[in-house]
Amino acid sequence: MTAVRPPSVSEDRSSPAETNYAIEARAITKSFLGSRALDAVDFHVAPGEVHALVGKNGAGKSTLVKILAGAHAPDSGEIRIAGQSFRSLDPLTSRAAGVAVVYQNAELHLELSVAANVLLGAEPRTRFGFVDERKIRRKAEEVLSHIGLKLPVDKRLGDLDAAERQQVAIAKAVREQARVLLLDEPTAALNKNQADFLFSLIRDLTARGLAIVYISHHLDEVLSISDRITVLRDGRKVQVTSRGEADKDKLISMIVGHEVGLARAKVAASTVGGTFLNLNSVSTPKKLKTVSLDIQKGEIIGLTGLIGSGCNDLAAVIAGVERADGHMTLEGTAYAPRSVDEAIRRGVIFIPEDMRTRGLVMPMSVAGNITLSWLRRVSDFSVLRLKREAGIAQEISDRLDLQPRGPQREVRFLSGGNQRKALLGRAIFADARLFVLEEPTQGVDVEAQGQIHEHLRILAAKDATIVFVSTDLEELLALSDRILVMRDGEIAHKLAPEGLTPETLLATIQA
Amino acid sequence: MLNATTGKSSQTSPVSAMRRARAADIGRYTLVIVLLAIIVVTAIGNPRFLSISNVLNILFQVTTLGIVSFGQTLLLVAAGLDLSVGAMLSVAGLVSALVIIATQSLILGILAGILTGALIGLVNGLLIATNRATPFIVTLGTMTFLQGVAIIISGGSPINGVDSLFNIFGVGGFFSIPTPIYVMVLTLIVGFFILRRSVLGRYAFAIGGNEEAARLSGVPVWRTKAALYTVNGAFVGIAAVVLTGILDSALPSMGTGYELQAIAAVVIGGTPLFGGRGTILGTLGGVLLLGLVNNSMNLLGIGANYQSAVLGVIITAAVLLQRKKG
Repeated sequence: MTAVRPPSVSEDRSSPAETNYAIEARAITKSFLGSRALDAVDFHVAPGEVHALVGKNGAGKSTLVKILAGAHAPDSGEIRIAGQSFRSLDPLTSRAAGVAVVYQNAELHLELSVAANVLLGAEPRTRFGFVDERKIRRKAEEVLSHIGLKLPVDKRLGDLDAAERQQVAIAKAVREQARVLLLDEPTAALNKNQADFLFSLIRDLTARGLAIVYISHHLDEVLSISDRITVLRDGRKVQVTSRGEADKDKLISMIVGHEVGLARAKVAASTVGGTFLNLNSVSTPKKLKTVSLDIQKGEIIGLTGLIGSGCNDLAAVIAGVERADGHMTLEGTAYAPRSVDEAIRRGVIFIPEDMRTRGLVMPMSVAGNITLSWLRRVSDFSVLRLKREAGIAQEISDRLDLQPRGPQREVRFLSGGNQRKALLGRAIFADARLFVLEEPTQGVDVEAQGQIHEHLRILAAKDATIVFVSTDLEELLALSDRILVMRDGEIAHKLAPEGLTPETLLATIQA
Repeated sequence: MLNATTGKSSQTSPVSAMRRARAADIGRYTLVIVLLAIIVVTAIGNPRFLSISNVLNILFQVTTLGIVSFGQTLLLVAAGLDLSVGAMLSVAGLVSALVIIATQSLILGILAGILTGALIGLVNGLLIATNRATPFIVTLGTMTFLQGVAIIISGGSPINGVDSLFNIFGVGGFFSIPTPIYVMVLTLIVGFFILRRSVLGRYAFAIGGNEEAARLSGVPVWRTKAALYTVNGAFVGIAAVVLTGILDSALPSMGTGYELQAIAAVVIGGTPLFGGRGTILGTLGGVLLLGLVNNSMNLLGIGANYQSAVLGVIITAAVLLQRKKG
């Protein structure tokens, strides 16, 4: 992980043009568990340029960004930052070389003041070695006004809104004299005005020579802000276009490509058995505005939309994770779950996207994770029947082809795909009638993806109802009976997948 | 900022994880190795160490600590903690003694002691289940409160007149084995059963392993915490009754220091402070280690002034020798 300094007879002297880039990645290749996330990708950003990275989920955008930020080491390839060459980076080296990352949830200290955050790690000292608060304030004010920001430097960061926090993160990067700013979905938590302000800030920064890598699913944004756009698909660079060369339709077709979608193989025509779940003007203070919806028994509903559109909020409401106003009925009776536990008793089970922090209990066995939602089935009078549990867990593992065998193994030893299967196993074991899933096959290889889809179809054929949130276009088309596209907390479109192509679906999501 | 990505993305490969698990298995045996080493050294230094009477003596001396530690294990597995167990033990012992004196009923006295512990535990559990403060802070508060209560209800002096309790736990026994040892073994079995064979124990592991995942899986987190702290309180109540019997009186300071010794025993026994894992038998090992060290220092003639320092070194060393965070 140490920097490979260019040898004294360095090639970058012979081709001085290359040193003009603020950051450059050459032939970067990276695999995870045997599947190739990036395949010989070249990418470079000149000072003063906004270079956008677009692509579907899993196309390799985040992997590339993580490699530039030093969070992942590439298997092969080279990274150059301002002429200095690296085989791989670690976060500290990357930062020292002038690469700053601004995440959606920027890692700032909410309890500290704006000034303290901007100067974090470089606090000026007084003669006696104490932190010089006055100087911190002054320097922070300098930095902020330098880039045209007006923020209250004494205010606790936690009292600012998302847009202002992001501005603090950017100010901090400027104070650290970053050359390259990586912005990952920077507008996800912003409203229209805040986003517009961000764009003008970005233009200001580039005018000062900063290079900006801009990652977003919002193609309109990308088209308006970027000087160049790199499209990634399946870990390969598809194309680089300059401003004005591409329009949205062209971009969409480059993103989607012309691969054959997953075979659509319904196990049986779903037996539609009347309304199973009804939502009547459901809303939440944070996101959802009057969502009304009828879901039939045995139906598979795909929920999709841009980040912040409200899909996950809707899933959370249905699963009892989040409370909502409005009225829901489940199988004809009122349904207003106050907890997940109550939803499960009504036959509704939730499988979150983030397995590590929200899904699995890592130090627990596969069997323990599978049975957790319905221990009553493997216990008599609160006494666990371990043999019964092991038997059932084995059976479910077999059904899902969960590898390696052995339900007593701790889940943390499984691969990502098998961890997803273990989570799905929990839902199957709980004998749910309504499955609410987030990104059911994220980070899973093609084979496991097919297996998981197959199981969801079997469940639906057996009259289970499935609502899944996904940003994977092929998955949405292959699995859904109906696709609901959400925007700004509302259902914007209800689509039948027949006749839809990934292009048209993506265009609808972007519209 | 950048470190966040590393943390999230540092997915350990299954192979290296398994290798570490194997190393952890070796770590599990360090406790046994340390125990054996102490036994051998002390036995060479003083042959009387291995006599039946001395072995029973050691067991007898650790009974109270053992019972308290088994309860604490249930909490640590669920990433909980109860610092108030020492003060709780004093209060429960005092209540038990006062009830015996007032009613002249041994049974009522024992029940009162256990119930007092369970009730205080329930209050602890309910406070912690609100998630408004960490277990550390909540029980630090109840600990201080209970220390005051102990002084108030005892008037600051020992409460004597509990001969009936003394006859059972102080000098009583079956087949030449003192009664407290039976009680400890009983609580060991109950603790083992709760942790490994009950829904409550499974929920404890789930909450300790990943509270958010447990909640999203439908684990009744709130109720589980309340129940675990109540059980812990009941265990402390039992320990209080036993100790009152052994001492033939209840003292307002009789539980002082138990909280830290119990936590030490549990951690030495392999239960991490951040929860998700743990065994009652490991805790028994930790308790025995502490008892053995005390006993062997006495037999080896190590002065009382040095014993605390030596004990501190051994606790720290034993914990460091345990496996690292997985």
